[in-house]
Amino acid sequence: MNALTQFVTASNILAADAAAPPSAGWGAMTMLILFIAGSMCIGVFANMTTQKGGFMKGFFLGNRGLGAWALALTATIQSGGTFMGFPSLVYSHGWIVALWIGSYMVVPITGFGILGKRLAQLSRRTGAITVPDLFRTRFNSPALGFTCTLFILLYLSFMMFAQFKAGAIVIQLAWPNGGELSLSEDAVSVSETRYHIGLIVFAVTVVGYTLMGGFLAAVWTDLFQSLLMFVGVVILLVASLNAAGGLENATRVSVANTGPGFATGPGFIADGSSHEFLPLSLAISFFVVWIWGGVGAPAGLVRLMASQNTSVIRRSIYLLSIYNMGIYLPLIVICVCGRALIPSLDGKTDQIIPRMAIMTTSHWPGGSFVAGLILAAPFGAVMATVSSYLVVLSSGVVRDIYQRFIAPNADRNQLRRAAWGTMIVAGLISVAVSWYPVTYLQAFIVFSTSGAAATFLVPALMACYWRRATTAGIFASMISGAMTVLVLYLIGILNLLPHQAIGAATGFRPWYLWGFDPLIWGILVSGTSGILISLMTMPMDEELLSRMFDEQPEAP
Amino acid sequence: MTRKIDPLVYSSIREAILVTGIWLAAAIWSISVCYTMGYHRATDDLKLVLGFPDWVFWGIVIPWSTCTVVSIVFGLIFVRDGDLGKDIEDADDLGLGG
Repeated sequence: MNALTQFVTASNILAADAAAPPSAGWGAMTMLILFIAGSMCIGVFANMTTQKGGFMKGFFLGNRGLGAWALALTATIQSGGTFMGFPSLVYSHGWIVALWIGSYMVVPITGFGILGKRLAQLSRRTGAITVPDLFRTRFNSPALGFTCTLFILLYLSFMMFAQFKAGAIVIQLAWPNGGELSLSEDAVSVSETRYHIGLIVFAVTVVGYTLMGGFLAAVWTDLFQSLLMFVGVVILLVASLNAAGGLENATRVSVANTGPGFATGPGFIADGSSHEFLPLSLAISFFVVWIWGGVGAPAGLVRLMASQNTSVIRRSIYLLSIYNMGIYLPLIVICVCGRALIPSLDGKTDQIIPRMAIMTTSHWPGGSFVAGLILAAPFGAVMATVSSYLVVLSSGVVRDIYQRFIAPNADRNQLRRAAWGTMIVAGLISVAVSWYPVTYLQAFIVFSTSGAAATFLVPALMACYWRRATTAGIFASMISGAMTVLVLYLIGILNLLPHQAIGAATGFRPWYLWGFDPLIWGILVSGTSGILISLMTMPMDEELLSRMFDEQPEAP
Repeated sequence: MTRKIDPLVYSSIREAILVTGIWLAAAIWSISVCYTMGYHRATDDLKLVLGFPDWVFWGIVIPWSTCTVVSIVFGLIFVRDGDLGKDIEDADDLGLGG
């Protein structure tokens, strides 16, 4: 008990240091400028690399030349949320978030091991550049391809708009001597001008380098930020453990600063209400959501299609396994140390990583630059996410609408102009939508992620592995999966049923049927309807199936 | 004429089934250990292992480490390499789907 009191006292002393929001200093902005310059260089280099061969395959698929490092560190569901929303949850609810994110232990093996090889093979057999391309050819149905395009445009637009806002906010908080470190919605009102400048800088940067280098620019920037994130986390882990006097001290002090719920399930709730952050049903749900949501994400499917060969996919599994182990568990430890060192953040819990970065390195020589390096990671993560969405969005418009319906004989220059035009228009719309930012940033991302996974997971599995799958079955699977998630979200958002005191406490909440996440119901409905309708309809043409599933004779 | 199913299809199915089994095993281990050891528990009897609450150590840290080792072994040994086939040369055309 004495020891605990001692730790609490130490924590209060450090908390006094942390009471006023520290300034990001010039280091953060310098690192961001360097990061932007580096991304532009990557865009130019990627542009040179994609000059050979056809425009479509080079610009939208990197000539199917993705290596193991690029595939491993970019193909899964890391985004700005890794450095923003997730740390905020650990700070708010405690050790239970380790279970919330626990399924990431198998994300590498499931992400590449379930669809990887077969999808890469199928995309070559169909000559597919995009996901709609693949479905269209696999099931010989232009209508199915067009439906896929519409779904992808819908989901990715939502996800992209939300990310533009996040990118602008990172620049806003990195403003020298701004005293702003919140990534939360209300930070925007503090400095609107900085937010707008940040928005324009972010848009010009990300559209600029994606426009130059296409898919490869998106992938290489993603790889760059992933490595940066790893370095940042390692530095911050050492600094945090040192400042908190070790993990045992940090756990005890954080429990003393909060309550017993911080170290037990179903998680700490600040207002002491009966709300449960992670009841058993949601713990089970997140072991499904993170895994199958990742497998079915359209941007991830495209990267699997771009992998060089099976050896690349194989090596990606263990590279990402080691990487994930080095990112997620340390981030939890850092945030527990954060709760011990900074007992309260007055509701702005998403400040925790920037605050820890600045606080723990402030006494180091060049500490401002180290803090800047750590702050550059979320910016890079957001930029890389937007860039990959821009590529998928643009490929959908150019390949699946412009080339199929408007200009089937378009030459390289026309295709390039169409791709650039699409990206510029998408960038302008995103800036316009984000100028007066939408609320519920994270909620848009969660809804779109769940919706996309419920729409594409089962159809992708059926396309890859089930010979008896039919066009009608795939249609049924896609539409029923999407509708299930949409309906459960609408019931929750419009408060059509009584409030459920579980999950993250946001206003944009789905209805958790029997306590389970909507994606689980989406996958179940999608799978059931896909199988039943396929069995009730005529099998596909055997010649087409043979081209997709059987050994092919050597070309003369 | 009947053609043989491509060996890569077979190996992909086999690996997908094994991976699904690994996911299920990890989920059952983590959720059951965390729930039985960590939910609604008084902090007085909470033990720390290497600074982690004991249920986090046995329910997350140990299975995560195990899964990392399993993934490395799976990637190095179990996954069978295969020929993905030839790509269409001029991809500016509309591919097989027309």
